[in-house]
Amino acid sequence: MTQEELVAIDVNKSVDARGTSCPGPLLAAKKAIGQIDKGQVMEVLSADEGTKRDIPKWCNKKGFEYLGTVEESGYFKIFLRK
Amino acid sequence: MAKKLTLALFSGSVDKLTAAGVILGGAAAEDMDVEIFVLLQAAFAFKKENAMVNSRVAEIVDKKDEFLASLDRLKTPHWTEAFKTAKEMTNVKIHICGFAGKVWHGEKLDDFIDLADDICGIGEYMTSAESADINLFI
Repeated sequence: MTQEELVAIDVNKSVDARGTSCPGPLLAAKKAIGQIDKGQVMEVLSADEGTKRDIPKWCNKKGFEYLGTVEESGYFKIFLRK
Repeated sequence: MAKKLTLALFSGSVDKLTAAGVILGGAAAEDMDVEIFVLLQAAFAFKKENAMVNSRVAEIVDKKDEFLASLDRLKTPHWTEAFKTAKEMTNVKIHICGFAGKVWHGEKLDDFIDLADDICGIGEYMTSAESADINLFI
């Protein structure tokens, strides 16, 4: 998805993991994914650089669709569809 | 069928135990089955009276204070919390090596923190590691 599409996407679940370091954001995503239905979108907010690679890999292994990452000031938003 | 991680956990130092906690987090995120075998020095760290007060580090010892302060600054969970979180999120079994327990005067499961599931012999580890997808020694 393009950055414009990601910014405009409707998010069903937002997970703010900016206060944690690896593997905190990944574990926060794992805990939250059970709270949304198949086809719904979740965003993970993180300031941990490694998360940008971890979440796409995790999505690939778990069968979720990684949609993309948007850089914000001092953190980033990672989007995925269950 | 879930993939399996076996971990021969020898170290009783918080730097290596913290690293083990990070890896357990990764395994939990992927729903792996995990079996941890607590060997020698790690059994010291798993004793009830030691787990929360032990602050020994194994490496870069001259920077211990800086290291521990950084863990606090980064809000890193204590290794026992990381292990507990992993146990809550995936199938994690923690076995205390019987010999290691005796070295540190831990004869019974009750001598160790509640994270421990049982006391076992090395045969348990060998059998489990044979079928592991990932096997680590820390």
